[in-house]
Amino acid sequence: MTGPDRNAQGAPRRLRSVVGAMIWATVPVLLLVQLLASAGVEATSFWSQIRQLDARIARTAESRAELIAEPLWKMRYDQVTGVLNEIMHDETIAAAAVYDDTGAAIARVVARPSDQAVAEVSRPIKYSNGNIAVQAGRIAIAYSYTTVYADTGSRLLLLLIVGLLATLATVVAIRISANVFIGRPLAAIMSAIQRSKQDGRAYPAEIRSSNEFGQLARAFNAMQHTTSGALDRLGHMASHDPLTGLPNRRSLSERLVTLSGDAGSPDSLIAFCFIDLDDFKGINDTFGHDAGDKFLVHISERLRDAVEPQDWVARLGGDEFVVIRPEVSNEATAQAFARQLLDAISEPIRLHDKQVVPRASIGLAVRRAGDPELSHLPALADIALYHAKSKAPGTVAVLDEALQRDYRRRRDLELAIPAGFAEGQFEVWYQGQVDLESAAVVGLEALIRWRHPDHGVIGPGEFLPLIERSGNNARLTRYVLTDACRALQRLAAAGRPDIRIAINLPPSELADHSLAAELRATCARFDIAASMLELEITEGSLINNIASASETLHRLRRLGATIALDDFGTGYSSLAHLRRFPLDKVKIDKAFISEIPDSAEDKAIVGVIASLAGTLGLTLVAEGIERPEQAAAMREMGVRFGQGFLYQRPQPLAAVLQGLQRRVAEDRVRVDSPSIAPEFAA
Amino acid sequence: MTIFLRMLLAVGMACGALAPAGGIDAAAAKSLDIVFVSPGKTGEVYWDMVAQTMRAAGRKLDAHVEVLTSERNYRTMQELGFGVVARADKPDFLILSNEESAAVPILEAAEAAGVRTLLLSNTLIGEDATRFGPPRQKLRTWLGDITTDLQTAGARMANALITTARAEKWQSPDGKIHILGIGGDEITPASIARNAGLKLAADAAPDVVVDRMLFANWTQSEAEHVTANYLGWAARKEIRPAGIWAGNDPMALGALRAIAAAGLIPGRNIEVVGLNWSDDALREIKAGRLLLTDGGHFLLGGWSIVLLRDYADGCDFADASPRVEVKTSAITRDNLGSVGDLIKTRAFDRIDFTRFRAKAGQCGRYDFSLDALISSLALPDGVGD
Repeated sequence: MTGPDRNAQGAPRRLRSVVGAMIWATVPVLLLVQLLASAGVEATSFWSQIRQLDARIARTAESRAELIAEPLWKMRYDQVTGVLNEIMHDETIAAAAVYDDTGAAIARVVARPSDQAVAEVSRPIKYSNGNIAVQAGRIAIAYSYTTVYADTGSRLLLLLIVGLLATLATVVAIRISANVFIGRPLAAIMSAIQRSKQDGRAYPAEIRSSNEFGQLARAFNAMQHTTSGALDRLGHMASHDPLTGLPNRRSLSERLVTLSGDAGSPDSLIAFCFIDLDDFKGINDTFGHDAGDKFLVHISERLRDAVEPQDWVARLGGDEFVVIRPEVSNEATAQAFARQLLDAISEPIRLHDKQVVPRASIGLAVRRAGDPELSHLPALADIALYHAKSKAPGTVAVLDEALQRDYRRRRDLELAIPAGFAEGQFEVWYQGQVDLESAAVVGLEALIRWRHPDHGVIGPGEFLPLIERSGNNARLTRYVLTDACRALQRLAAAGRPDIRIAINLPPSELADHSLAAELRATCARFDIAASMLELEITEGSLINNIASASETLHRLRRLGATIALDDFGTGYSSLAHLRRFPLDKVKIDKAFISEIPDSAEDKAIVGVIASLAGTLGLTLVAEGIERPEQAAAMREMGVRFGQGFLYQRPQPLAAVLQGLQRRVAEDRVRVDSPSIAPEFAA
Repeated sequence: MTIFLRMLLAVGMACGALAPAGGIDAAAAKSLDIVFVSPGKTGEVYWDMVAQTMRAAGRKLDAHVEVLTSERNYRTMQELGFGVVARADKPDFLILSNEESAAVPILEAAEAAGVRTLLLSNTLIGEDATRFGPPRQKLRTWLGDITTDLQTAGARMANALITTARAEKWQSPDGKIHILGIGGDEITPASIARNAGLKLAADAAPDVVVDRMLFANWTQSEAEHVTANYLGWAARKEIRPAGIWAGNDPMALGALRAIAAAGLIPGRNIEVVGLNWSDDALREIKAGRLLLTDGGHFLLGGWSIVLLRDYADGCDFADASPRVEVKTSAITRDNLGSVGDLIKTRAFDRIDFTRFRAKAGQCGRYDFSLDALISSLALPDGVGD
């Protein structure tokens, strides 16, 4: 999960529901419209009422005028007052008066004093009989709008209340219907999404309606279905190796978690086989990657066939496989099972019409199901596998105490590397290279040692792979280079400026283009010529990175350094290398020297190498000369230089310098100086 | 008082009986039996006086007059009438008054029974008049009617006001003589006729304006009220009221009261006329406050007996007309002395009804004027010869 996602989840924005938003968007408008409509209607009604009141009072005045005309004309003023009094039942009328044709008030009635909104209407009183038609007087009525105002006010209040109630009812209706038609379907979809998020499965939303949400839900469910299939495939892909269909490394982690639970009892034994195919790279290189893939598929099928249903097979990647048998009776049966697997693997396979015999190493770890460190099984089996691969490829190595001890030592050393550098625990020892004729020292090979505070002096064969794995190769090389330059200074100071020093370059350094520049700078710092340095490389480093290595070597050589091919004759020795790379010197591996002079075959090989070197103009150095017969044999075969315990063991520079001093004095090489540590120089 | 009156009457009757009937053939005369069904109440001045003059005339003209009183109940009146018609010993004549047209069924019953009838004061009107036509046609026993001419009375009263106002120069600033009319009501024929007389007189005089025709329901108080209103209005209009015409005496008396209240002096700067010859009116005339009171129609009672006597004696009033209309007369200060006592004392036996009988060959021609009445009067007993 990426950062922003987590942030988004960590502080989710406050949710505002669609329903709420709808209500907020609708209700004010609704309320406003209702209020305006009410006000509008009421205003219209108010004016109409005012007009009606005006008209009614006018009608009253007219009708009263008719009634009053005769009594007024006939001067029955009491009757006039009586008629006038009758209209006072109308509560809007505040006062009324009748005037005769002289303008005198004949009758006047006041219902109530009204100080507000009084309107007045006046109508003539016309009298007529058969003979005359005259205006007998005038009626005036004062009336008040108070009742209309009060009516309007109360109706407005009523409308307001009704409007509010209607709005409330609408809100409730919207709320309910929106919940039913929107909220609920959304919640159903959200619920399906939440459940899907929780366990990664695709759940359908439970909506059965046929409206838009029903359609949405159907589309969502169809999508969920698609997603579900995709998730299943993705889940399978995530946990399985696409090539072989076997569970992958990820599955292994999950499997380990459930392993103890799957076992019958805590005491039942679990066999964990870590299988690594030997030289799978060679098969890839020889037959191509398609064939390599086919090879892997074959192997996986064999493993599948070889195991019982309760067993579990996985491919961790590359040529690594794991087989777990959840219940074995004892370690011996587990070993037998592992060997059985090896046998199954080792059946020949036809690749491109060629028979190939697969080989594999197996690291076997057996642990009780109740072991709390069950999750470490791969690491433990890997320790055993490491042992098998390094000590006896093509076999089964069972994890035992010794292996674990080795593992722990390796791990300790690996962890101690930074401290080793920081505290100067790495020491450079030097072993002389001598002229086999004169036995005079002509050069020194710088050999790294680790003076570990707990484990004592450790040879490079043990810790160099650890240095390489921890990525400290370059640092160590610079360290050795600097020490060598300082040694050259001291040699020169001791009167032996002719002695050159050889440094071992690990394969990774050959790919480093900055090496040449660094070497030049270091030489300049110590004021020594680069030609005093000899750089030893192995054949393996050339093979792995031909172009890059070639370029680096050319640069180094241009600086004046000598290039030596170390351990010649072992590994993927190719004579072509001798021509392709700018080499000056070849060091014959001690494997060819140790049996000399007894082994005629080795003598023949060394002879061929010597003659080839002579032809190519390469200087030869024989490594591992321990006995005088060997030295003699080398001399006979034309090997000029040698190196070995016969002449000098690797030792600190001071001891080397002392020896040189002594040699100057005695002009003899002492050969019985005691060995401090075995020679692991690569 | 009543006993004294009766004694007087008894004495009068005795005198009349003793006196020889002048001009009439006494031997041929036969005593008449006449029944009068009065619509009025006992004590109601007009109908009492009608009955009294009837009896007085009967005594003079050898007619027995029986008066039955309806007490203002028309059903009672009809029952009384039917009872009379149904008598075995039927009267010679039945006198009815067609108030509220209640006498019509009695007329028909009398027709069937062969009893001769005379309508007094109120005759057939409207639909009845059309239905039955003139007397003695469809209803052969309906001899005719005797009524008073009230329209002439109204006009005479108005003219008296106008004459006085002109003489006194009571014109208003507009040069006109302004008069107030107070009618009893607007529907009864008796009222309509009087009011029409006022209008007739006013229309004939271009210098006269009847400001208002007000109605006071024949009562004094209402008349006083409307008169007060009128006087107030007239003052506001700057009208000088010259006279007040009242449809009867009580209303005239009410007007007098209002005039007094308004600060005017009746008889000096305004004149009032009334109708009915009432005691109070005569008193006001004597006091100079009332210009005149017209009337004398209660004498119809006596005159009806005169007509029937002549008819029974072969001198039919229908020779002139079956409908006899009697003119009323005004009592002013001038003639008050002659008739004032008569009216006041109701000494109708002083009237010599025989003198009013039609002359031979002149049947239906009668002089019922005030002057004729005055000249017929015998001196009151107390006055002496």
